[in-house]
Amino acid sequence: MIAEYTRQEMMAIATGREIRDGELAIFGVGLSMLAGFFAQAHHAPRVRAMTEGGIYGATPLGGLPWGIECNRISSNATSFTSALDALGCLVASGRCDVGIIGAAQVDRFGNVNTTGIWVGGIGDAYRPPNTRLTGAGGANDIACGAKRFLIMVGHEPKRFVEKVSYISSPGYLDGDDARQRHGFVGGGPSAIITTLGILRPHPETKEFHLDGWFGFSSPDQIRHATAWDLKVLPGARPVPEPSKAELAALRKVDVTGALRKG
Amino acid sequence: MSYSKLISLAEAVRRHTRDGQQYASGAALPVGSDAVVFGRELLRQGRRDLHAIFHCSTQQLNLLAAAGAVARVECGFSGLEVFGFANGLRRAVEEGRTVLEDYSNLSMALRLLGGAMNWPFVPATVNIGSDLQYRSAFAPDEHPARHKIPAVADPFSGREIGALSPLRPALAGIHVSLADPLGNAIMLGTEWSRFELSRAAQKVILVADAIVDTACMRQFPNLVRIPDVVVEAVVWWPFGAWPQASPGLYDADEEHMKSMNQALATEEGTAAYLKRFVEGYSDVPSYLDLIGRDRVRQLAQTSTAFLIDPFRRWLQTPAEITALSASCSPAGEVYR
Repeated sequence: MIAEYTRQEMMAIATGREIRDGELAIFGVGLSMLAGFFAQAHHAPRVRAMTEGGIYGATPLGGLPWGIECNRISSNATSFTSALDALGCLVASGRCDVGIIGAAQVDRFGNVNTTGIWVGGIGDAYRPPNTRLTGAGGANDIACGAKRFLIMVGHEPKRFVEKVSYISSPGYLDGDDARQRHGFVGGGPSAIITTLGILRPHPETKEFHLDGWFGFSSPDQIRHATAWDLKVLPGARPVPEPSKAELAALRKVDVTGALRKG
Repeated sequence: MSYSKLISLAEAVRRHTRDGQQYASGAALPVGSDAVVFGRELLRQGRRDLHAIFHCSTQQLNLLAAAGAVARVECGFSGLEVFGFANGLRRAVEEGRTVLEDYSNLSMALRLLGGAMNWPFVPATVNIGSDLQYRSAFAPDEHPARHKIPAVADPFSGREIGALSPLRPALAGIHVSLADPLGNAIMLGTEWSRFELSRAAQKVILVADAIVDTACMRQFPNLVRIPDVVVEAVVWWPFGAWPQASPGLYDADEEHMKSMNQALATEEGTAAYLKRFVEGYSDVPSYLDLIGRDRVRQLAQTSTAFLIDPFRRWLQTPAEITALSASCSPAGEVYR
């Protein structure tokens, strides 16, 4: 029998499965941290986890941390340093294996917008966004510097757009080898994990294709929730449902049930 | 012989701030150790038209922007992490009252480092190729922006990279866990960019949750990342980061984090908030009363409390701090 679980939990587990044991990994606020520490609790005990605040060796205590510097991630740390250290020395340097970032909007080449929504586009002259979002934060630095990064995002048509109106964090820009123009040390997004499935970049064009769907979703449903003409990778298949052990590990990290609410 | 730099918060703001000033704070993230109470005092004294340099948005920036005191802001992250969007800042930006120039979290730290080092620019391998480079709120007509993160050639490889402009804010309000009366400070938890900011700013005012004897600094000199030589004044203000957290001393006040952000979402809510939580106290005891003494005790029951244990024997009492205050005489009390 398969236990009941939410879409958010499936997304967190699918993201956590992408983290390999022993990797140097940077986790961000909220879902990203839950997915990362789930991986550590379940299959990657030796993952070398940090937050961009330069908090090392810590695991969340007392529930989902309110931020990457929150006391909930500061009560069992082995080192506290700084942004310059974590995002600079360890991420922009190219040392970090994997990061997890969120998105308000993502496009077919995995470019991420977390800055603002401009109705009808920004236009030539910059103007204030109709809806101001949170800005790039450390995600731009992770997108430029981490060897690979994962994007976690709820799968809705308004979020999966043909072209984001503002690139806060670069994916593959306009595709192919566009990242090479800028000499980024990081390799780009390796997957977009959503509340409906998993998208991965085509090896040459770097356009994101459907690679997997969940027990409760289907390729058709995912195509309908995606604004670009979503193609399917050869070998795309259903993603295994969470095991009991996976759910138990995730819920141990998510003690306040943040992923079971929505 | 050294002199105490302890002065009152009101005096620090009166003496060292002015309208239109480039004011830096927010160097310890949106839920963490930020000099929020310094921002409250800026509003109490009616400061306006500020050019804010906030590595990250905090409730301080949220409040200052909501109250209409911020004309321009440069920051790397403008939300409140799991507490959501910073409603006051958001409203000010969407309405065009505050112009927000976007960078990333690393580039803000690099720009502060550049200011600290007096570098003409800082080479950037991040932010390039994205709209952080191509769009400028400070130069809206330039597209692509030419003066925000201009492309420059790496003189060694010839590769095109970006040039970040250094920051030298006129004043920094920096929250620290522990300071001595001379201005030596220990920060518990992530330092974020307080080290760089303390060297980049032309003037530094520390807002410390607790004051310790200088003997504490002599016991842990490796932990003193802000030495007195870069500090202008020290303000003692317990729970100075409230409703945010100060590792080792108190947790974030979740209820107030939410209710404050909700209030700042509207003009009416902001007015009510200002009346109660900016104008509603006159000194440290009445400020703690305003938070609520039970709440204060509860927030101090933090799982990080053990972090302060090594320093406890040097903590000064309020009476001792008053006696050490430089405000007693214009030249400052002779201290050690």
